Amino acid sequence: MFRRRRFEQIPELNTSSTADISFMLLIFFLVTSSMDTDKGLLRQLPPPPQEQQPPQDVRKDHVLQVTLDAHDQLSVDGTLLIQGNHISPFSSLTSQLTKFIAADRKDHVISIQTDHATTYEAYFRMQNAIVAAYNQLRESYARERYGKSYGDLVPEQRDEVNQYYPQRISESKPTKEGGAE
Amino acid sequence: MRRMQSIFRHSASREMPGLNLASMPDLIFTVLFFFMIVTHMRHDDVRVRYQVPAGTEVQKLQQRTAVINVYVSASQIQVNSQPTDINHLASLIEAERKKLSEENAERLTVSLKADKHTPMGVIADVKEALQRSFALRINYSGTSAADND
Repeated sequence: MFRRRRFEQIPELNTSSTADISFMLLIFFLVTSSMDTDKGLLRQLPPPPQEQQPPQDVRKDHVLQVTLDAHDQLSVDGTLLIQGNHISPFSSLTSQLTKFIAADRKDHVISIQTDHATTYEAYFRMQNAIVAAYNQLRESYARERYGKSYGDLVPEQRDEVNQYYPQRISESKPTKEGGAE
Repeated sequence: MRRMQSIFRHSASREMPGLNLASMPDLIFTVLFFFMIVTHMRHDDVRVRYQVPAGTEVQKLQQRTAVINVYVSASQIQVNSQPTDINHLASLIEAERKKLSEENAERLTVSLKADKHTPMGVIADVKEALQRSFALRINYSGTSAADND
């Protein structure tokens, strides 16, 4: 009797439905999760203005005034940048900024003025153009100084490059001259 | 010749072997784990209709746990999953910041997901509210675009 039992085979567990169960888990995760990575321009805002903060004097020739009016038209120091041949005003802003910052890298100020009716898209593209200008300068300095791309630098070297080309941007409240409301 | 016949007869009587599916659950589990790692749970119920602008210099936002999402369109504002208005924005940011752990609260980043067509008046008000609540690291959310715009 015992001997016979020893030769009996243990019945195997039917695992064919495990695939279905894991498929259901997989589909659940696909539905509830999202893969979109958040991308964007990382900027630092200034702390809220204090009451008794004396306005800082900045020499006029250190300032580059970038203006976006109510019709999303971009002008630099009062001259309107217009759409050229395959060159958007924003890329010509980048090239103007690179020249301006390189000439006066420690004391330059980029002053941004928008209007209440300026669309966010135009503002974003202007910010993008400014970041592009700084990135170009920092990239070329990193190559010159360390022989490496800015992205490959260690954090300390990156800080040094950032200090070599500091971002000096001043933003004022939007004007209402466009007759937005 | 006889040998040939025997071969044919043999194959005719043989049954098709069943495919061994024992490793299929393992395969699917691998795919499942891959998805669990690369994705993250969607927890915001976004009520604001928005389309972010495109830029060439956008970078990936790091440290997702220290991020507060602010959705802005011309008429609506939403912080994480809570719709609000401009007057309550600053206090709501403070409240959301309290929910974060201490180190995350220090390196807090506000991801501003604003619609392309939002007027700057609204954006400026939002930024002022963020300044008041000392959420100073902001990320203008956008998609990456090719250079030829």
